Amino acid sequence: MTESNPPLPRAKFQCRGVNVHYATTHAIKDNDIDIYDKSVTSFIGPSGCGKSTFLRCLNRMNDTIEICRVTGDIRLDDVDIYGSDIDPVQLRARVGMVFQKPNPFPKSIFDNVAYGPRIHGLAENRADLDAMVESSLRSAGLWDEVKDRLSSSGTGLSGGQQQRLCIARAIATQPEVLLMDEPCSALDPIATEIVEELISSLGETYCVVIVTHSMQQANRISERTAFFHLGELVEYETTHNIFNTPKDDRTIGYVSGRFG
Amino acid sequence: MTEISMTPAPSIHTGEAAKARLKKRHNAEKRLRAYGIIAISLAALALMALLYNIFARAVNVRTEHYITIAADIAEDENDFLKVVKSAAKEAFPFASGRTQRRQVYGLFSDGAADDMRNAAGAGTLETGESVERRFLLSDDVDLYLRGTFGAPEERDAQGSLTVTEDGKKILLESTAADFNAAVGVVKAGLAAQAERLREEAGRQTAGVDALTTRLPSLEGPELEDTKAQIEGFQAKRAQLLAQADALDATVTAQDSGRMKLTNRMPSFFVRANGGILKLTEVSNTTALAKPLVPSDGTQTGAWSLFSLDRPETGRPVKDFQVALIENLRAKDRIEAVTNWRFFTSSDSTQPEIAGIYGALIGSMWTMLVTFSLAFPIGVMAAIYLEEFAPRNRWTDFIEVNINNLAAVPSIVFGLLGLAVFLHFFGVPRSSPLAGGLVLALMTLPTIIIASRASIRAVPPSIRSAALGLGASKVQTTFHHVLPLAMPGILTGTIIGMAQALGETAPLLMIGMVAFITAVPEGVTDSATVLPVQVFNWANASERAFDMRTAAAIAVLLGFLVVMNMLAIILRKRFERRW
Ligand SMILES: Nc1ncnc2c1ncn2[C@@H]1O[C@H](COP(=O)(O)OP(=O)(O)O)[C@@H](O)[C@H]1O
Ligand SMILES: [Mg+2]
Repeated sequence: MTESNPPLPRAKFQCRGVNVHYATTHAIKDNDIDIYDKSVTSFIGPSGCGKSTFLRCLNRMNDTIEICRVTGDIRLDDVDIYGSDIDPVQLRARVGMVFQKPNPFPKSIFDNVAYGPRIHGLAENRADLDAMVESSLRSAGLWDEVKDRLSSSGTGLSGGQQQRLCIARAIATQPEVLLMDEPCSALDPIATEIVEELISSLGETYCVVIVTHSMQQANRISERTAFFHLGELVEYETTHNIFNTPKDDRTIGYVSGRFG
Repeated sequence: MTEISMTPAPSIHTGEAAKARLKKRHNAEKRLRAYGIIAISLAALALMALLYNIFARAVNVRTEHYITIAADIAEDENDFLKVVKSAAKEAFPFASGRTQRRQVYGLFSDGAADDMRNAAGAGTLETGESVERRFLLSDDVDLYLRGTFGAPEERDAQGSLTVTEDGKKILLESTAADFNAAVGVVKAGLAAQAERLREEAGRQTAGVDALTTRLPSLEGPELEDTKAQIEGFQAKRAQLLAQADALDATVTAQDSGRMKLTNRMPSFFVRANGGILKLTEVSNTTALAKPLVPSDGTQTGAWSLFSLDRPETGRPVKDFQVALIENLRAKDRIEAVTNWRFFTSSDSTQPEIAGIYGALIGSMWTMLVTFSLAFPIGVMAAIYLEEFAPRNRWTDFIEVNINNLAAVPSIVFGLLGLAVFLHFFGVPRSSPLAGGLVLALMTLPTIIIASRASIRAVPPSIRSAALGLGASKVQTTFHHVLPLAMPGILTGTIIGMAQALGETAPLLMIGMVAFITAVPEGVTDSATVLPVQVFNWANASERAFDMRTAAAIAVLLGFLVVMNMLAIILRKRFERRW
């Protein structure tokens, strides 16, 4: 990471006054944040501070949780994604998501990756689809490992491979934003390194938002870092600044390892 | 706390007490294993006993018995019952009197005429004068030939026989004591009768004793009455004892002359000169006999005896019929043939021509209706409740009711079917449609509950994955959740269908218990189903339905196995797709 602030790209997400309630729990408290395109943004913070909850606001996955209520204004490319004319299903095609636990479909590797293009009608024909699957698997750095067994089950891969398969699957839908909720927490160090490299390179073309509980990871792969605490966005700065010149006491405590 | 931590650590898990604990645990585990093995063995034993009981009886159905005699069949014959009758008359011209003639006709089954009618319809009937043809024997004869009433016991004759006519009877004289066995039977019969008389006398004694104890408390006319009663009892007792003594005297006498063989005693037959006679009075070396099958004129001098232990009054096949059958059996005119009829014909009042085919087809139609209603409705309901319905008081209410429905006795569904489907919607009575509707209602809760459970068991991460890719709720459900839940859904369905297949009570309510001999050609035809057929046959009075009941149960089990296999194949196919 460079010492000076990188030039600000366009803000992909503009969030203002976001509040999230789970029944009686106030999980996100009045947060404002801008998330920039073609960069990696990390959310860090102690467990239960609302990182995942906030991430799920960005593709409206919170809609699937019955007791969850989201208020405030979240704009994707200046359009309110909670507006009445927005179809959440359509939105999720634009804002892809990778989960904490690798969750490939119990289908073939090919079918896993091809699923998104199929339901969204992205491929004109079989050759098209083959090409899409190949390029997605290449982007996820998995192609060389699985090209000979595309028809074997996706659940038969190792944990790291499964997570990269999930990333390939998300990429294949050709989203604009990629949300990742602790994508490496279930992986061993070697697999983590591979995935981290992958995330860094994805940051060059996508708007990537990643939740992580590893400060080193945030430091290694992201341009910007947001620190959450008890549902509040305490500090949002370039990663370099967060780790080297944190302003808030809570941030200082967290990054120096005194709590969390 | 301090004391515990101060005890040296190794002894806690290695000391004497620890060893004792370990031993105790091992023993407990061994005991548990033993209980498990005992439980499984008991269950297996019960199952084996059940299956043995069913199949041992069911295998009897594999053959049926035919008799071959000559018949005159005209080219354009249509009264085949008459053909059978005249063929019978021809074959047994010596049958005299109404009783014997009726017994001759009783050898034949109505199926004999049916067979000819069917053959004529198919154009394969051989016509002409004196055509040798196989005729189906009646159920009682069939049972007799299987030895249900006891097998005839052959006795070789020692002496040589002299036959003389003695008015209507025939006198048999042997040079050896060949009729000893029969005499023994008669004597045993007489001894038993004497024993019964003595018992009766004993009861008179008891009566006398009871009245005597009451005498002192009585007076006037009552006393006189009782005294008279006592005298009556005593006289009766004396008479009974005298009779018993007389009988005993006959039994013990060396030569008591000829004694009567009644039809309450075992029957004895003599084969001589190609005919068969039945012994009516016997002494050791002589007997009076009644000719049943006349001599065919051969005079070989060879003769033999055979007997049937069960008295004539105790069996539906009478002595005359036994003689006819044994005569023809000796001439190889009676044969056992593989019984396809059981699988190709429908119910009948006559067991020998009753078959399972109609009920089997009825069950298939009914199951088809049940499946095509209960499966889609059940699965759709489960999907809606699990994946789409909001959690509120309404859905809770529905859920509780579905669970309750699963516990409703099946006959209640029958009542409902009767009131709603038959009376209100006018669905035809006894039809597979009505049965299928009722059984679908009964099966629905089972399918819904099983489907919901297996839908719920699909990991939520799969749903998130699909939703996260921009799949809609419906796409997620049908592309991912349902296929993953399918094996469990199929298991639930097969349990429900198996229940429905064996269900009798609700079908009785909607008239499927009716006696139906036609094979249903659609879901609105009158039909019966396998379990109801089993129920009907088990209630039938004819002995020959016994083995058919067992065979019908075997067919029902077979149907179940086939249905299960189908489900397993389907399930394998679903599992293989991953
Ligand atoms: N599905 C849910 N239902 C109820 N409460 C939830 C749910 N998910 C999260 N929460 C609550 O919201 C708060 C934030 O949770 P989360 O966003 O998962 O935190 P993080 O990802 O930072 O560890 C926690 O207090 C948690 O208990
Ligand atoms: Mg989280």
